[in-house]
Amino acid sequence: MVVVQRRELTFWERIYLPEIFRGLAITFKKMFEPRVTRQYPEEALPTNEVTRGQPRLVVKDDGNIACVSCGLCEAACPAYAITIDSQETERFIEREPERFEIDMLRCILCGFCEEACPKEAIFMSDELELANTTRQGLVYDMKQLERPASTLKPRIDYVRRINDRW
Amino acid sequence: MSFVIILIKASLIYGGLLGTAAAMTLAERKISAWMQLRIGPNRVGPGGVLQPLADGVKFIFKEEVTPDGANKGLFRLGPIMAAAPAMLTIAVIPFAGETTIFGIDFGLLSLTDLDIGLLFVLALSGLSVYGVILGGWASNSKYSLLGGLRASAQMVSYELSLIMTALTVVALSGSMNLREIVEVQNTGNFLDWHCFTPVVGQVGLILFVITTFAETNRHPFDFAECEPELVGGFHTEYSSMKFALFFLGEYCAMTVMACLTTVLFLGGYSVPFWEDAPWIVQVGTFMTKTAFFLFLFIWVRWTLPRFRYDQLMNLGWKIFFPIALANLLLAGAVISLS
Repeated sequence: MVVVQRRELTFWERIYLPEIFRGLAITFKKMFEPRVTRQYPEEALPTNEVTRGQPRLVVKDDGNIACVSCGLCEAACPAYAITIDSQETERFIEREPERFEIDMLRCILCGFCEEACPKEAIFMSDELELANTTRQGLVYDMKQLERPASTLKPRIDYVRRINDRW
Repeated sequence: MSFVIILIKASLIYGGLLGTAAAMTLAERKISAWMQLRIGPNRVGPGGVLQPLADGVKFIFKEEVTPDGANKGLFRLGPIMAAAPAMLTIAVIPFAGETTIFGIDFGLLSLTDLDIGLLFVLALSGLSVYGVILGGWASNSKYSLLGGLRASAQMVSYELSLIMTALTVVALSGSMNLREIVEVQNTGNFLDWHCFTPVVGQVGLILFVITTFAETNRHPFDFAECEPELVGGFHTEYSSMKFALFFLGEYCAMTVMACLTTVLFLGGYSVPFWEDAPWIVQVGTFMTKTAFFLFLFIWVRWTLPRFRYDQLMNLGWKIFFPIALANLLLAGAVISLS
């Protein structure tokens, strides 16, 4: 059993009024302190390479998509948000995605796809905003997901650095 | 002619009162935001100054819900009873002395010059609690009923000290006429203001301000509302303009009470070191003093936590009432000795 020792209030505290004035002084001072509110749409959230935003596909510098349609991300996705159909390709790889869709309403931004990918083809970008008037509009196809490798560079470097730990 | 003058005065005073009430809703939100390191409403108009307008439009277009089993007549009467007394009492507040504008004699800048002005204000502001009680009773909801019940008990325990304190001022100035109360203090020397009367004035002012908070159902004594326990208290079931009327009533009551405190203790429209200042200076002075008390209402609300119900009763009966009584006696002693 714990006995809580309460301090006897001094007479000064018991008349209460001085303490009220002390409280009023504090709130008055607070009025002139810097604000902490962020005006969101105008002032965007600060992001950096650690931000785990929506997944995006890497387009390599030669213009081809890095994805080889292996399906590992599809398998790793706990929310079943990824759908991949493969097709043959002229390039010196076995296949490339014909259809690569991520249902952004299902995606939980866990980053498992990024971890699963053996080809450094999918990364969590710093894009966070998601809005549409229909559900179908939030199923992103390949065109909407593709980002040049240069824009994803900080994240790619970060993931490489983290992975080198193991 | 005098009818036209009264009409002009009435429209100005009531426009001013409603404008103040609207501005207070914005000030309440802005100042609370500043005290909590937030920004507050800033989307409607420059810096959010048109927010009360947007609120008003919103209130008008909201659906009016009358709860099942509510007493319809009383339910409708509640908001009216809450708002009307506060708006009536502003009629006797003097905003400036004898005024002549563009050669037209406006007389005293108040709607009426009642000999029992103070009594009129106290009687009507006591009436405003009926709005809360009726609203609480007619809503057919346990939360509303509890809110109304608390309001009535609170009023009984506070009105007494409020009136006792107001009586102190009556004793000091020898009149119940608000104009005469101000004139007694308007000597050009601000030490003649009642709040500078040694001991009696200071105790009276503090007591009066505190009881005013209770009178207007404001923090820290807003048991009738009390969101955490009673949802919204007496106005839980009210929606749309009826709810807005309760709100308006509260802010009008605050404005009137701030005016009354100014008149009783801070010399009303009297300007320091300038006995017969032009009317515009007097009105400005009056408004500055009133604005301070209005700010105090908001300031205290966002500083103190709500009292507990039994604490209020203790405070009202065991502390404020004896102090108010002793203060009145002291005032009597001071007057008979001087």
